[in-house]
Amino acid sequence: MAPALCAVCKTARALIKRPKNHSKLCKTCFIEVFEDEVHHTITSSQLFFPGERVAIGASGGKDSTVLASVLKTLNERHNYGLDLVLLSIDEGIKGYRDDSLETVKRNAVQYDMPLKVVGYDELYGWTMDQVVETIGKKGNCTYCGVFRRQALDRGAKMLGIKHVVTGHNADDVAETVLMNLLRGDMARLSRSTSIVTGNNSSEVKRSKPLKYSYEKEIVLYAHHKKLDYFSTECIYSPEAFRGSARSLIKQLERVRPSAILDIVRSGEDMARLVPGESPSSCSCKGKSKAPAEVAEDDIGGCGSQNGRNPGNEMAVMDKQLRENEEHEAHEIDVAKSTPRNEGGTANKKWELPVRTAAVASKVVKGQVLGNCKRCGYMSSQDICQACTLLDGLNKNRAQIQI
Amino acid sequence: MASSNPAGSLLKPCVKCRAQEATLDSRSQAVCRDCFTKFIAAKCIKQIGLLAKETPTPHYGQPRRFVVGLSLGPCSAALVHLLNENVDFQLARSRPAPFTITAVYVDPHPARKAEDDILEGYRQRYPRFTFKRDDDDGKLDAMLNSLPSAASRSDIVRLLTRHILLAEAVSHDAQALLLGHSTTALAELTLAETAKGRGFSLPWVMRDGVVDVVVSRPPSSSLTSSPSPNQPALLPPPKETKTKKMLIYHPLRDALRKELITYLSLVDNPPPLLTTHIHHTADNDKADKKVVSHKDLSIDEVMIRYFADVEKEYPSVVANVARTTGKLVRLLSGDSSSSQKLCGLCGAPLDESGDERWRGELGIQIQEEDHGEGEDGSGSGNKKGGVCYGCERSVRG
Repeated sequence: MAPALCAVCKTARALIKRPKNHSKLCKTCFIEVFEDEVHHTITSSQLFFPGERVAIGASGGKDSTVLASVLKTLNERHNYGLDLVLLSIDEGIKGYRDDSLETVKRNAVQYDMPLKVVGYDELYGWTMDQVVETIGKKGNCTYCGVFRRQALDRGAKMLGIKHVVTGHNADDVAETVLMNLLRGDMARLSRSTSIVTGNNSSEVKRSKPLKYSYEKEIVLYAHHKKLDYFSTECIYSPEAFRGSARSLIKQLERVRPSAILDIVRSGEDMARLVPGESPSSCSCKGKSKAPAEVAEDDIGGCGSQNGRNPGNEMAVMDKQLRENEEHEAHEIDVAKSTPRNEGGTANKKWELPVRTAAVASKVVKGQVLGNCKRCGYMSSQDICQACTLLDGLNKNRAQIQI
Repeated sequence: MASSNPAGSLLKPCVKCRAQEATLDSRSQAVCRDCFTKFIAAKCIKQIGLLAKETPTPHYGQPRRFVVGLSLGPCSAALVHLLNENVDFQLARSRPAPFTITAVYVDPHPARKAEDDILEGYRQRYPRFTFKRDDDDGKLDAMLNSLPSAASRSDIVRLLTRHILLAEAVSHDAQALLLGHSTTALAELTLAETAKGRGFSLPWVMRDGVVDVVVSRPPSSSLTSSPSPNQPALLPPPKETKTKKMLIYHPLRDALRKELITYLSLVDNPPPLLTTHIHHTADNDKADKKVVSHKDLSIDEVMIRYFADVEKEYPSVVANVARTTGKLVRLLSGDSSSSQKLCGLCGAPLDESGDERWRGELGIQIQEEDHGEGEDGSGSGNKKGGVCYGCERSVRG
């Protein structure tokens, strides 16, 4: 039997079965199709403007390495006119980050892009190794996640760049959609799917050009393009809620390859269905919520497969929800008994009010964005999360020194 | 059960009544058998009470008419049992029966004896209710076999079952269609529909409320003589259709599946169950779980398996999923009279702005067409044929 031919060029032998739709392609066509799809994402979402300076959040892992490679290729092929810079965060984790930073340094040479490394120690006075020494391995990913989010923005600011692209892929987005459904976090659900976060009013906007790219295809692309990337996971990453969502996604993908993209689609659509009042807006719900709250999209920030949430998060949440249920039994919900004009309450079924997307999104973004009084970083609280966490850390350090 | 013992001498008194030995764990409280069954019944009665307010009696003193979807699994069985208890309770107080029930079992396969026997068991156990089996002698079976995968068949069966139940409710002139979804089932449904790309229509599926039912005239097409809901599958609804409104209600939305299974094990003379029913695998049999090939699994089954574990360990997480997604709003009216286009397969409003925004489509249909097609050129003309994103996916694989 003759070998199967590539479904696109119909001349070369098909060597790759695309994870996304199981079509059989040759190596050259796969690489081209992958790049075309990212190009399509970039142009249809109007991510960039000519002459824009863009920082690529580079960890040395497969996603950001592929992102850098594809952006460089597309920038040259389609004349985007972008000024691309690699921006790396040094969390200060020996045996993990120092090695991956070496990869980024090689990438900078390979792709002929300037590289800026921003360290947690220079930004916060703490390396992650020191944080872990102080607070232990449990919960340290919260610190790392909060710190990194700011670090990328601050690094970009140092470079005078207003746009940071990250290597988040379709699996990451799908995972976040399921995770937020599992957590019942509608507000975050509506934020997590958009391709661009932040806008003209925020100093630095973020975007995810690989939002529709499958993780498996990213790995294939890196493999066939022989890209130089670092594949060790963070040594501190624990089991997490995210892990549960991730394994579920892997199962779904096996049943129906398009499932990942389908979840992303559902997430985008559901973002528009989130009612004005988010269930997590009540401050009494969630003692553990304060440190976990993030400024914008809560999407697996570190290169780790496991994410940044402390272990047994599901158990903690279950316990908390149970406590809430008990408390609810003792209180009268005034809001429930008063008819609200903005949303169909559970008891009002015949006439569900028609709401437009504009109204829905406006209400969800109701959090007032200000600036941290201490560091000036955007925050909905007086003191931003990073500063709050730092306060705790510094208190500990002072005691230790005495 | 040592119910006659005074509270002081009990080993572990029920935290609710303090009069009986606690033998069960109900939401981390040790309770007795009676308090547990009362607790479950109360969850159902509360919803039935709300439903009664929504549905005025057709004529004074006349009972309401409800159609119940029957799967022969534990949750819909528990629903039938609880509804029967409710009627018993009213009659015992010399009040008129509050409602009549027609329970419909939709079977995509040609008649099988096991199901018939179980339905007969229902008829004997609950003589006040009517039990009906809805199948069409294998015509549907043939159509389903032409679908590309087990996951695809499962999706379509779910959609058609819903259509058929709605059509039954309309043809019985019922005031509501009652579905036996537990909290767990609703949480599964939420994530399964999300995974099928059906996030947009979730509020129509999850929430209690009115939906439009497209009722077409008796067979005018030469394709088949089967009743309306079975046929339109891959075609837009024919011109001579009209729509009716039907209220869908989920009276067991506040009870977990494991609680309903426990409930059934406690009641006297429980209804018969179909042992091959998928929900039984979710119950305990772990060893059974690992062996199935992913080729034979559906998205729904993956979710059932997943939530069986979550329910065991973290029941409140399950409840929270169902509760919060129950708050998603229906973005479009879903009212066909307002020129809103409905999906020809699932009947949910077509989300045109969602299609327009969607950027993730390219490359999917590379096998059929040359690549390079613009956004949302999602395939072979189906788009214009009025099928939503999720249904397109379901039909293709």
